[in-house]
Amino acid sequence: MKASVLQENLAHGLSMVSRAVSPRSTLPVLANILVATDEGRLRLSATNLELGITSWIGAKVEDEGAITVPARTFSDMISTLPNDRVNLSLNVRTQTLNVRCGSSNADIKGIDAQEFPPLPSPDLASGIQMNVADLKEMIQQVAFAASSDEARPVLTGILLTVQGNKVVLSAADGFRLSIRRAELSSQVARPITAIIPARALIELARISTDGGDQPLTMVLPPGRGQVIFRTKDAELTSQLIEGTFPDLEQVIPRNSRTRTVLSTAAFLKACKQAEIFAREGSHIARINIIPGGEMQPGIVEISGQSEETGFNQTQVDCTVEGPGILIAFNVRFLREVLEVIKTPNVVIETTADNSPGVFKPVGDDNFTHVIMPMHLGD
Amino acid sequence: MTWDILGHEWAVNLLQEHVARDRLRHAYLLIGPRGVGRRTLALRLAQAVNCPQPAAAGDPCRVCRACLQIERMQYPDLTVVQAETEGGVLKVDQVRELQHSLALAPYEARYRVALLLRFEEAHASAANALLKTLEEPPAQVIMLLTASSQESLLPTIVSRCEPLRLRPLALEDVAQGLQTRWQAPEAQATLLAHLSGGRPGYALALYREPERLQQRQEWVQALFHLLKDGRVQRFNYIKELTKDSNKEKEKPRDRLRQVVLAWLPVWRDVLLRAAGSAAPLINPDLEADVARLASALGPQTARQIVANLDRSLELLDKNANPQLVGEVLMLDLPRF
Repeated sequence: MKASVLQENLAHGLSMVSRAVSPRSTLPVLANILVATDEGRLRLSATNLELGITSWIGAKVEDEGAITVPARTFSDMISTLPNDRVNLSLNVRTQTLNVRCGSSNADIKGIDAQEFPPLPSPDLASGIQMNVADLKEMIQQVAFAASSDEARPVLTGILLTVQGNKVVLSAADGFRLSIRRAELSSQVARPITAIIPARALIELARISTDGGDQPLTMVLPPGRGQVIFRTKDAELTSQLIEGTFPDLEQVIPRNSRTRTVLSTAAFLKACKQAEIFAREGSHIARINIIPGGEMQPGIVEISGQSEETGFNQTQVDCTVEGPGILIAFNVRFLREVLEVIKTPNVVIETTADNSPGVFKPVGDDNFTHVIMPMHLGD
Repeated sequence: MTWDILGHEWAVNLLQEHVARDRLRHAYLLIGPRGVGRRTLALRLAQAVNCPQPAAAGDPCRVCRACLQIERMQYPDLTVVQAETEGGVLKVDQVRELQHSLALAPYEARYRVALLLRFEEAHASAANALLKTLEEPPAQVIMLLTASSQESLLPTIVSRCEPLRLRPLALEDVAQGLQTRWQAPEAQATLLAHLSGGRPGYALALYREPERLQQRQEWVQALFHLLKDGRVQRFNYIKELTKDSNKEKEKPRDRLRQVVLAWLPVWRDVLLRAAGSAAPLINPDLEADVARLASALGPQTARQIVANLDRSLELLDKNANPQLVGEVLMLDLPRF
């Protein structure tokens, strides 16, 4: 292999893929990054067998070839180089990668690229076309609700269902659930159901920061237990979680007695204040919804309290349909959902202090979030 | 049959049947002494289920990339979990990590294979954490556990696996195998077969690393010297042995364990001869010495020494001071 790339591009690519490197694995090659020439570009890949990230960077390729080099050594080395052309050449016999840039010259010992776990070569034509920015928003609205408890592996994932031109992401951790729907620009031939690890999707949202309006292709090769997200110059692969996801639609309350609409920003601010007080104790935020009378708005009182810190209460104006209610939620859960609601107003649907509350953005039917209430105590 | 395993034909046949007829159990427990071939058998099974081009159903080709990587225990769909060092503890975090990876679809093979070695070293919490997975692993998962004995595991673990008990081979079979497969000279092969007590893996390890054999002979010779020596020399020997030297990576505890493990078979032989048994000796090279000791000490004393050695191994496991353990051993050793 003989190729030259810009240091800036190489460093950027390495920082992207190095998130998938697993330094303490039983397979030594997983601590390495695959460096390979690929149709006139340089391919950088890393995988921990659960999550794989590939980045392609523009390169001048003189000779084809591939090798894996230790991730730490390679990225530390590259990040110290001047912003200049980096020449990479591989000595196949000794499996050493020579890196030359400006006045510095380094030989990095690698492992044969054959040892690297085989990477999927997806059939992009069969994939589903999406927009990076849209997918990223969907992920952000759902991923935080996934569980981190390994005892129920299925709940650490996010359920992806695609049918016709509808795509749905859902996640739940037993205390709350998040469902986000979206429409695709085209119909999908066969319906898809897959559970993708939340970590992988969070990583996807992270690496697609500079994506903008870029198109993205999602491929689920049948029978492979994998999902592949591909953009122009990056690819993320994740193993799917095996199992059956609980039917979340059944958990969502069909109707409610009290429907409260209030400003998302004001509510979020009130929750943040309540959290300062509640986080030392039981994380409980008490929500007291008081309907207004004639010509006078309703009021939501949000309060947080703990033995050590003290007490805080904020009032937010609202409109209420139905009787008043006092209900308690985990304040962190409230904050997390309000942070991802993009509309100016949010609606809370409640029935009783022991049945779940439903949170929806006003004027957007695509997002639903449900939180189980906490005991009010005394 | 291409499993190429010394002995255990019945186990190989059984497993091959399971693979060929698609009747694989979700978990197997391979029980037997160290070096008898538990891990080798487990790896062969992993190859048999995951080889992409088997010669026949249940017959791995053993030359493809998958087979070779499994053999080296470096295969994406083979997760090996074991205590960090032999005699260490398998921690609950390792089990949690395993459970996380088992929930995922296999990377490239048909099955995800989890190989848990020396499971008797698992911490109680680790064993308990595994119960749920062991009872109901995901469909594409095969769990393989190895352990020294059924009794060393929680009964709840054993009852969730299909146990396969691997027994030591006949000594002639081990000797024969060493000669035909690894071209060991006949005399050495016979000696190693005896020393290993019918455990081909251990015999092979001694054959491949002659320095280990050498070391064992030194320790055994030291034992015979110590029997003649007085208390001062004996204590000096233990002091030397358990000195914390930075040069070697080996810890005093492990070194003493090795020494005790080298002495134990000698006393076993003495006990056998003292009790009038004609069973084959583990140390045929020491036949004369063993006979001399047996007639001089009698079965009672020999039994006591074996028990003492056993006890000191136990104490070492329980983190007793190695030097003290060694000294107590020396105090109870008869002068001869």
